[in-house]
Amino acid sequence: MIEDPGQVIEPAQVFRVRGLTKVYGMGAAQVQALAGVDLDLYEGELAVLLGPSGSGKTTLLNNLGGLDVPTAGELLYRGTDLTSADEDDLTTFRRERIGFIFQFYNLIPSLTARENVALITEIARDPMPAEEALEMVQLGARLDHFPAQLSGGEQQRVAIARAIAKRPEVLLCDEPTGALDVRTGIVVLEAIQQVNRELGTLTVVITHNAVMADIADRVIYLSDGRVHHVRKNTTRVPASTLNW
Amino acid sequence: MISYLDRKLWRDLRRLKGQAIAVIMVMACGLAMMTMARSLIYSLDSTRREYYQSNRFADVFDALKRAPNSLVSRIRQLPGVAVAQSGISVQVTLDIPGLEEPATGNVRSVPDVGMPVLNQLFLRSGRWPAPGRRREVLVSEAFAQANHLHPGDSLAMLMNGKRETVRVAGIALSPEFIFEARPGAALPDNRTYGIFWMRRKEVASAFDLDGAFNYLSLTLAPGASERQVIAELDRLLRPYGGLGAFGRADHPSHVRVSDEIKILRTISIGFPVVFLSVAAFMINAVLSRLLALQRDQIAILKAFGFSDRQIVVHYLKFALVMVAGGTVLGGIGGILLGHRLVLMYHRFFRFPDLEFRPDRPAFPMALLVCAFAAFTGVFNAVRRAARLPPAEAMRPEPPANYRPALVERTGIGYLLSHTFRIAVRNIERKPMQALFTVAGLALATGILIVPNAFRDGVTQVLDYQWDTVQRQDVGVGLVEPDSIEVEHLFERLPGVISVEPERRAFVRISFGNRRRQLAIEGLPSKGLLNRVIDESNHQIQLPPHGLVVSAKLAEVLGARPGDLLTVEVLEGRRPTREVRLAGLAEDFAGMAAYMDIHALNRLLEEGDIISGASFTVDRAKWDAFMRALKNIPRVSWVAVKNSLRENFRQTTAASIGLIEKIYMAFAIIVALGVVYNNARISLTERARELATLRVIGFSRREVGTVLITELVILALIAVPLGLLLGTGFAAEIVKAVNTETVRLPLVLTRANYAFAVMVVAVASAVSALLVLRKVNHLDLVGALKAPE
Repeated sequence: MIEDPGQVIEPAQVFRVRGLTKVYGMGAAQVQALAGVDLDLYEGELAVLLGPSGSGKTTLLNNLGGLDVPTAGELLYRGTDLTSADEDDLTTFRRERIGFIFQFYNLIPSLTARENVALITEIARDPMPAEEALEMVQLGARLDHFPAQLSGGEQQRVAIARAIAKRPEVLLCDEPTGALDVRTGIVVLEAIQQVNRELGTLTVVITHNAVMADIADRVIYLSDGRVHHVRKNTTRVPASTLNW
Repeated sequence: MISYLDRKLWRDLRRLKGQAIAVIMVMACGLAMMTMARSLIYSLDSTRREYYQSNRFADVFDALKRAPNSLVSRIRQLPGVAVAQSGISVQVTLDIPGLEEPATGNVRSVPDVGMPVLNQLFLRSGRWPAPGRRREVLVSEAFAQANHLHPGDSLAMLMNGKRETVRVAGIALSPEFIFEARPGAALPDNRTYGIFWMRRKEVASAFDLDGAFNYLSLTLAPGASERQVIAELDRLLRPYGGLGAFGRADHPSHVRVSDEIKILRTISIGFPVVFLSVAAFMINAVLSRLLALQRDQIAILKAFGFSDRQIVVHYLKFALVMVAGGTVLGGIGGILLGHRLVLMYHRFFRFPDLEFRPDRPAFPMALLVCAFAAFTGVFNAVRRAARLPPAEAMRPEPPANYRPALVERTGIGYLLSHTFRIAVRNIERKPMQALFTVAGLALATGILIVPNAFRDGVTQVLDYQWDTVQRQDVGVGLVEPDSIEVEHLFERLPGVISVEPERRAFVRISFGNRRRQLAIEGLPSKGLLNRVIDESNHQIQLPPHGLVVSAKLAEVLGARPGDLLTVEVLEGRRPTREVRLAGLAEDFAGMAAYMDIHALNRLLEEGDIISGASFTVDRAKWDAFMRALKNIPRVSWVAVKNSLRENFRQTTAASIGLIEKIYMAFAIIVALGVVYNNARISLTERARELATLRVIGFSRREVGTVLITELVILALIAVPLGLLLGTGFAAEIVKAVNTETVRLPLVLTRANYAFAVMVVAVASAVSALLVLRKVNHLDLVGALKAPE
């Protein structure tokens, strides 16, 4: 079932996706990662992308974040067409609008927690102080530790702080708990939930763990490169109550 | 069939081709230089040896005033003498059409019938002078080529004051004149000085030497003592005006070739070592990075049961491929360059057949040297990787441990940007890698200093020789020393502005048991034309007593100013005197001894006598002056400074230019190779980090800055070190060139340093651009997947 965009009225639309297609490779080796995705994402919501491996979750996220360009279809960010953007436009787009969180944290190993976050504040327009961002993810006490001195969960929280420090309009998280144990994963999800709540940032989280879907406003099920259906949660469950 | 592991090797190498090529090129440069220099040594050395053997080059030589032929049989009976050959050697003045100054020649006799027994000639073209046919000569090849003389041509020769026209019968070479230059002149000028051979009877009658000889060559019996034979000979020939016998070690042509070989020998060791060290550093850097990247692959191979040995061999093969590439390329390069340089040596050294002969043992040796450099470079890295337990190796490497860098710990950390911090912390975390890069870059910078130091040294020598020391326009030598009256004759020549007299006397100077034979030059005490200059570039006023000698001669003799030297005059009344060493002169070619002309004449006990003069001449009356000079029979030789200089510029300078260009090309290759290699490694090593920066919104330029900052910091450390190192290299080269025949001053100009810095900067910029282009193609999506 595909949601009709016309029914949604209250929050402003951030992304408008229509017939989005992404094909990798040529000829016989061709792989269709996205086969016509239709989707809208709104200000302040927390959406979870759920689906099996190869369903196109990461490709969709990369396209939304300007890391990749679609083969065909429509992709609008607040009315701006991202499909026709060039490399420099996409860099600016990522720099100003998007916060990324990855499964493997991708911190700069030679910079401390504070510096990893502050690095972003160097290039952002209206950043929050690195300390404040780290405080939000409860890492105020570990400011001057290097990645190698932090646990996986702590590293991921530094990554979240890094992503939110520039006050992005969109936070894109690709399996943020994928490399973590349950307890640590919950702490990280709490942090993401808190950011979404307090800053009102549109947050899209990829997971293949169905339990985590309960923390979302909407759950978008992907399979075979299409949106299979969308589920709307009436209440969001706090991450701390999850168990898997 | 090629194994799958080898297939992996080829594919990995293809991926690393930029770096592999950089390593191969640097290695090839070192090997090319080594094979080139070693092959040249071998070519010169073996060709000379064979030439000496086949043409029976003598062991001991002596010039004398005049001795009866009957004396030769007594010489043959001296203990230790194997074969003795007497002959005649005289100076003549030549009039070559088209040459403004008179040229001079050394005419040597050949037996009236048959060939010489010692110092046999090699006939290049034409034929021998026909017995009984008058006025036929053989001409040395260098002179014939410089003056376009061919068999059948004729030229005018002033023989003992009588003008004769002689015909060129043939062109010849002699083992005595491999290096053909006027006695005492370090630089050849083949236009104005040549060797001629004439039938003995004819020379003898022209110079009133019938039944007599004035030149002697002999070979030693096996086991004979050269020193003893020389002493005997001196005693025997003393009444006949013997100028002092000397062995090959004092033979000008022999010494000049030996000095060249000596210089090549230093080059063949020093430079390749530097180049190969750089290559070893580079291979080490490339392979340790490759191993780090292939940690998991090594683990899988081990998990599947490959032995440590197989894995070590697999990775050593990378080094082997580069070594093989470097050796082949270096070998070919060395042979090609060697061929070109041999052609250059034809200008200096005259052999019947100087061919490039590759020094075959040099190739396996090059391979060994190279392999050793490469394997020491990689062995530890490979062994460390092979030792890793598979389970541990399969896990991604833990995040590297970092800490605030030293500069930050000093408290100025808050001043540093993040990019700068990333850079300095990276350098501090991998000090060895940084050290290797710095070492490589410093060596590259250092190598750049050498060719220009060489060039500046040569330029300074020439400016020094021709502007500071010799201020005359023309130098003239007399056939025989003559009374001071000649000076008045000279003063009246057309166009003469000033004249200064000169007296040359052949002596043997000894101190302790060391001695050398040379001419003392007697000059006016404070001459304006031919000047004696000291180390600090000031003119030395020749003292009324005492001797001023080249610093090199003092070094050879082991004497210091204030010491008493024994001067044994080898002409005239042949007095022997103790003369105080009064000062040291700075010169760069040959060795000289100077005295005040009056002091020298007093020493010689011959009254006021001159043997030559220096002139400055009015340009407007130049032609008249030259014509007049050509008509004075007493003039033996004339040296025109500007034509010497021009001739040198066209021949020797061009050759030095070639060597310099080769060095420069090599140095630039190394600089490029090192910088490019380092930037590439940095890029591979940090692709993930840089891609992450791109993903979170850094522009290409900003990411490039992160990458380049590290390189810039290392370059800033390396370049000053390199300049120091280059100064050391240049000093070593100058030391190697410090021979009795040729020396070089150590000249290091600001321009030279600036050039080296500029080349490294440009090489760095070019490499940086090449690597930055790769930054544009960083795999952003891939970087976010699992760590490698």
